[in-house]
This record gives sequence, C-alpha cells and structure tokens, in this order.
Amino acid sequence: MNIYMIGVGGQGLITTSNLIGAAATSRGVKALTSETHGLSQRGGSVDVHVRLGDVNSPLIPLGGADLVIAFELLEAFRAAPYINENTKIIVNSRLIRPPTPRLRLPRAEELINKLGAIRNVKIIDAFNAAVKLGNPIVENMVLLGAAHAAGLSSAIDEGAIIEAIRSTMRMPELNVRAFEVGINLVNNY
Amino acid sequence: MTCGKRFMLGNHAIAQGFLEAGVSVAMGYPGTPSSEIMEYLIEKGEELGVYAEWSSNEKVALEGAYGAAMTGARAIATMKHVGLNVGMDPLMSSAYTGVEGGLAIVTADDPGMWSSQNEQDNRWVGLHAYIPVLEPYDPANAKELARIAIEFSEKMRHPVLFRTVTRVSHTRGPVDVCDGKPPVFGKGIDRTKKRFALVPANARKLKAELVGRWAKIEEEVEELPVTVEEGDPGLLVITSGSAFAYVMDSIKELEVSPTVINLSVPVPVQRKKVLDLATKASKIVVIEEGDPVVETQVKAALFDEGIKVPVLGKSNFVPPVGELSLDITNSVLAGAMSIEAPHRRGVNLGYEPPQRPPVFCPGCPHAASYYELKLASTTSRVKPLFSGDIGCYSLGINSPFDEEDVLTDMGSSLGVGMGIHRGTNGKSFVVSIIGDSTFFHSGLPALASAIYNKTPLLLIVLDNRTTAMTGGQPNPTQAIPIEEAVRGLGVRNVYSMDPFNVREAVNTMRNAIDAVKRGEPAVVVSKRACALEAARKLRREGVEPLIYSVVEDACKACGICYNMIACPAIQPKDDGRAWIDPNSCVGCSVCAQVCPYDAIKPSGNLDWIKRWGEAL
Ligand code: SF4
Ligand code: SF4
Repeated sequence: MNIYMIGVGGQGLITTSNLIGAAATSRGVKALTSETHGLSQRGGSVDVHVRLGDVNSPLIPLGGADLVIAFELLEAFRAAPYINENTKIIVNSRLIRPPTPRLRLPRAEELINKLGAIRNVKIIDAFNAAVKLGNPIVENMVLLGAAHAAGLSSAIDEGAIIEAIRSTMRMPELNVRAFEVGINLVNNY
Repeated sequence: MTCGKRFMLGNHAIAQGFLEAGVSVAMGYPGTPSSEIMEYLIEKGEELGVYAEWSSNEKVALEGAYGAAMTGARAIATMKHVGLNVGMDPLMSSAYTGVEGGLAIVTADDPGMWSSQNEQDNRWVGLHAYIPVLEPYDPANAKELARIAIEFSEKMRHPVLFRTVTRVSHTRGPVDVCDGKPPVFGKGIDRTKKRFALVPANARKLKAELVGRWAKIEEEVEELPVTVEEGDPGLLVITSGSAFAYVMDSIKELEVSPTVINLSVPVPVQRKKVLDLATKASKIVVIEEGDPVVETQVKAALFDEGIKVPVLGKSNFVPPVGELSLDITNSVLAGAMSIEAPHRRGVNLGYEPPQRPPVFCPGCPHAASYYELKLASTTSRVKPLFSGDIGCYSLGINSPFDEEDVLTDMGSSLGVGMGIHRGTNGKSFVVSIIGDSTFFHSGLPALASAIYNKTPLLLIVLDNRTTAMTGGQPNPTQAIPIEEAVRGLGVRNVYSMDPFNVREAVNTMRNAIDAVKRGEPAVVVSKRACALEAARKLRREGVEPLIYSVVEDACKACGICYNMIACPAIQPKDDGRAWIDPNSCVGCSVCAQVCPYDAIKPSGNLDWIKRWGEAL
C-alpha cells in the first residue's frame, strides 16, 4: 500500500508517518517511509512517502498512491501527480496562507468544491476537531484516524496504531481520542 | 547478544552499525542529510563509553578520526558530500599512510539537491584518493554495511569511504538492532617508525606501498557482499546503493527477469563478480545514484578482457541529473528491453497552488538583523554588495530583504567578499554575512587574511548560538565569545548588538559602516538565540510566555510590519490591517518596535525576552 502525505512544516507529518511505520513493524508488515527534510521546519511544503508491504524502494511512483492524506487545503493539490482513479483521498479543510506578501488566493469554498468533484475524496475539518478536543496539536491524529477508516485499516489494525501512540507519544490518551474522532468523522461522512 | 526489529531512520541505522562494530571515536560536522548519524552516536554512544563530538569543521573532524585510527582505534568521521571537499587534505594523506585501526569516513550525498548547493558524487573521490567506497541500499543494509566498513578498514589497515544518499539516510524502515560492542580504543603510535610523517622521502615510499595495497584491496573487495538475483543471463543489470531497491521494485512491476547484481562496493568495483556474469550477457544496464562511477569502471574492465557488449548507463541512457525514482528505473528497464513502461501520470485537479517557499520562522533574529542592516545602509548612504554564506540566513536572498548577492560555499562570505572588493579595485562596499557555526567552520582563516591584508569590509556575524539550519547542533560559539575572538585577531572596530533592540541595532550598524568608510575592517556580532531553539527551551522550562497582538483601531494598515520584517505570524487582513496569529507569535517584540503607530501590544510577561537572551 502506498500512502502519500503532504502538508506544511510543523503539522506533524513525520510524527504521523513514524506511527504508521512503528505500527506496521510491530505487526510484521514491512514499512518504508521517506521524508523531505531540511527546510521543512521553516514553513515550507513537506511530503512523506509511506510504503507498506512487500516493497524495496522508498518513493511512490507517479499515479501510484492508494491513499493520500493532505494535511492542508492548498497542499492537497500538490498530490495530483500521485493520484489515480482509485486513490482514496483525505483532505483537511484547513487553509494555511503561504507567507508570500500580497498573495491572492481563491476562497477556501472554491478549492473545496474543486476537490469535492473528484472521486473518493473526503474533506474533513481536522483542525477544529482537534481544537474541540482541547489542543490543535492533535490535528494530525484526527487525520490519521480518518485515513485509517478510509483504507489504511486494510494494512494495519486499529489496535496496532493505538499501541504505537501509547508507547511513543506524549499525551497518549488525548492522541488516541483524536485518532478515534478521525475514524468516526469518516465513518459518518 | 540480543537483537530486535525496530522501525528506524537510515542515519540512525548507520550509527547503530558503527556502535555494533566497536567504534570508539566519532567526529563530524553537521550537514543535511548526514547530521542524525552523529546525533545518535552522541546520545547512544555515551553509555558504551564512545567519544563522539561535533567538530568545528569537516577537516578537523576527519583529522580527529584519522589521528585516532593511527593509534589503533576504530574511528569514524561524518559529513555531507560538500563537507568532504573541506576534508580532502587529510583524506588524501590517509590513503598514503593507511591506518592502524579502522577508519570509516561517512559522506552523505544529496542527489536531487534537496538541501545542498550541488549533487557531487563522492564515489569519484574514492577513485581519486585510492580509498574503497561502500554503499548501502536501505536502512537495514546500511547497518550491516557500516559494521563491514569498519571491519574491512581494519583488515586492510586502510581508510574506507561510506557513501550514503538522502533516500537511504532519510528513509525509515525495519532494522535489526543488536547490542553495541565495547569501544575499541588504540594503544598509541610507534615513534620509531615515523609511518605517519609524510615528508617527501617518506611519501615517495608510501606511494609505492599504496599502489600495492590498492591492488590487494581490488582483490579483497571480492570477499565483500554482492546480491545476485538470477534471471535471464542475456540482460545483466548492475546496481549500487539505492538503485538496487528501485530496480527490484521495477522488475516486480514490469514482470521481467533480467539477472541483477548489486555491488556493495562501487569503488573499486567487484570486478570478478561482474565479469563472471558479463561474459554471459548480450546487454548490460548499469543503474546507480549519481554519476557513471560504476559504469566507467565496468566499461574499463570489459575493455581489459576484450568483451564487447553494449553498456547502458548514466553516461548515455539513464537521466544524469537528479535522483532516481521507480518511474525512472521502470522506463530504463523497459527501454532496455524494448517493452512498454506503465503509463501513470496522476490526475488534473484543476488548480495550481502557489509555491510555499521556506521563510524565516516567526521571531527569527536573522529577519530582524536583515531589516536593521537595510535601514542602516540606506540611512548611511551606502549601496552594499552582500556576500552571503551557508546557513538559514541564506533565506535573506528573498524579498523583502534581498541582502544576499553571492553565496557559494562555507565561509565564502569573507573570501569571495574580499575578492569582490579587490576585483572592483576597491569600489564595492562589501558586507559579508556569516553565521556563528560557519564563522568557526571556515570564517576565521579568511578573517585573519582580511585583517592582515587590510581589506576594509563589514562583517556581520549572525550569532544565533547554534547550528540552526541542520537542526540546532551546538558549536564553539557557546564557549568562545566571537567578539573576543575577533578582537584577538586585531580588529579594532568590534561591535555587539541585540537584533531585538531595533533602534540600538541600527545605530550600531551605522557606526560599523562609518568605520569601513574610513578604510578599516569592522565586525558586528548580532547575538540572539535561534527562535525555534529558544522558544522550545523556554517552554520546556515553564517560562511564562509572551505574545503580541494588533490593536484593531490603532492599526493604520501601513504594512510595515508584515511587508518589511515579513514575520510569518503577521498577516494582512482584507482591509490591509495587520493580524497576528497567536499560535505562531513567539514574542520577539520586533514588530511592535517597528510599527510607527504603536498599534502592536504585548500580553504576557516581558521577562520572556530577557530569558530568551540567556537561553543558549
Ligand atoms: S512579536 Fe511580532 S515579529 Fe515577533 S514573532 Fe510575534 S508577531 Fe512575529
Ligand atoms: S506596522 Fe502597525 S500600523 Fe502598520 S500594518 Fe503593522 S500594525 Fe498596522
């Protein structure tokens, strides 16, 4: 299974991919993840390639994603080269303005409509779900839960991810709750 | 020995391999994608008794590891690919003298230039220096090969290069982690032999020995691992490093079965192993990450043996620029076999999002310094030529700052800056801008030269107390005040400033500019800890936070705060008034100081700024 994750530096993509990798490894499923490092701390775009199963190389081929997790609305469009007609796509409806001065952007609703028109897209408000849980930092776990319900579950069971959260994260219970909220958002979509 | 499978970063796997090989001394200089190797060794090596340090530059690191290996210790030096250029001097000598213990030099190459100024392939250096190169293809393999590298070095009494690339170093995967070995230190150096003293008489003798040893190495590398996937002997695919992983996935996807051989040693190639298979092949494809290093050697070997067979590779068939991908290996293999590669292209989502370039973080002291430098030079009526350097502050090339005109390599702000001054016969007003880590890395000798040769230039040292670009490693600035170092070198015009005190900072820079106008070199040290590191530390210590916000009615929408310091926490609203994102603001106070309408106000404890100043 190929999972393409894209977002903005600081949104916790690498933490999320590490959890998937640790959970897969604990179940004997081979996982390779590859991240673009370096300048990501400074607010740039970040993507992580996650590959599960019988794979050797770390990068997803073009059109080869089974699942896309877009952590941010504008960044979602940058996943286009990896999407095919069967790709399941989770999009966070949050828009983070690029810091370029005087940049003109389409309205968020317009972008959401464009994305909503393609197949297999689920657009969720992970940021506000996280705020409701008491801490915007768990936005990534809401997205992970949504991705799990959207297809990741066929590779890794829920229990493995929860164990990985409990054994590696600070505030494990809050993160587990956010993960479950994400699952429900998709199941009730 | 107990082992267990862990999901692990490639660089950590490399470091773990060295710990399991009994390495006792590790030295390095940070640089993406290499830095996590030394971070891991510093953290995990301690309980084993390993000595691991961040050195002031790659040459110092390599010399340190080399010296340790002279005594019989098992030692490593780590750096990014361009770092090895700085370490070339000791590297070349190390091949002549060999070592008594084990010496592995890790070079982390960056094909695709994710975080570098070039994509040089350091496997060439192995050929150039008579040093064998080992190259892993994934994190699990990297751990194994790191151990083998040390063992091979010790066996041959010769240094080895360990070449990794971004997609091995920054890939995570399952790795079998075992207990580390007790570190193997050396006994000392036999003073009677003078084996390590490269005076010409000695060096001549050693060159002959080196050539002999190299012939031995060419034989012995045949004992090191190769992986062979048996298939159709007519088509031979030769890989090295991460290329092997892509090729294995391509073969599965294309449902083809050429014979594949992966070489763990790209320099010198495991010749016999290759020739055994090459004699049966009617076509050879060489796929490697970087330049045609293996390809060139394979062609030479075939020529020597009189084998005529077409060889496809980086020189003629595989894209020579950028990093490999599954799509590339698919089309290379399909092309070589005259079959169709799968056509997958992605979809059109009907919108092209704007680029999201990296920017200075909220509260970055560099942004303040650049703002102040601009103000100071404008009001002093000078039109500087900005000679920049390698570090976060290279982002000063972007608008609104536009204060980096040339930047080429570590420490070049001074060297190239002096050249610009001389090349224009003194007409250019040069401002050299360097960070603290880069200053100690290679700024010091250049500054000595500038002072001795009486070159009038303004040096601004952006001292954020850490090597921020690569993740915040410590460096000598935490022990050596840069002002004192510079005064010690004989600079009379030395100034300290705090970029978070805008008015004073501008005045200080103006004084420094005046000194240069008089024809004297001047140095300004702009000191403030990196915002990321400082905020993290203060939060951990529970210091009461400080943030700033805009008073709606007071804001006149002049745009100075968001257009001139460009703090990403400040955004213009539709009416042009400023809004500060309370989740991003780290309370540096600079926007409040530059707002001409006093519209930006603090909430929280102003003590925060003082504590920040003492944070690192
Ligand atoms: S105080 Fe102003 S300039 Fe500093 S981080 Fe906050 S918003 Fe940015
Ligand atoms: S500098 Fe002051 S007045 Fe001008 S936009 Fe910013 S907050 Fe408003």
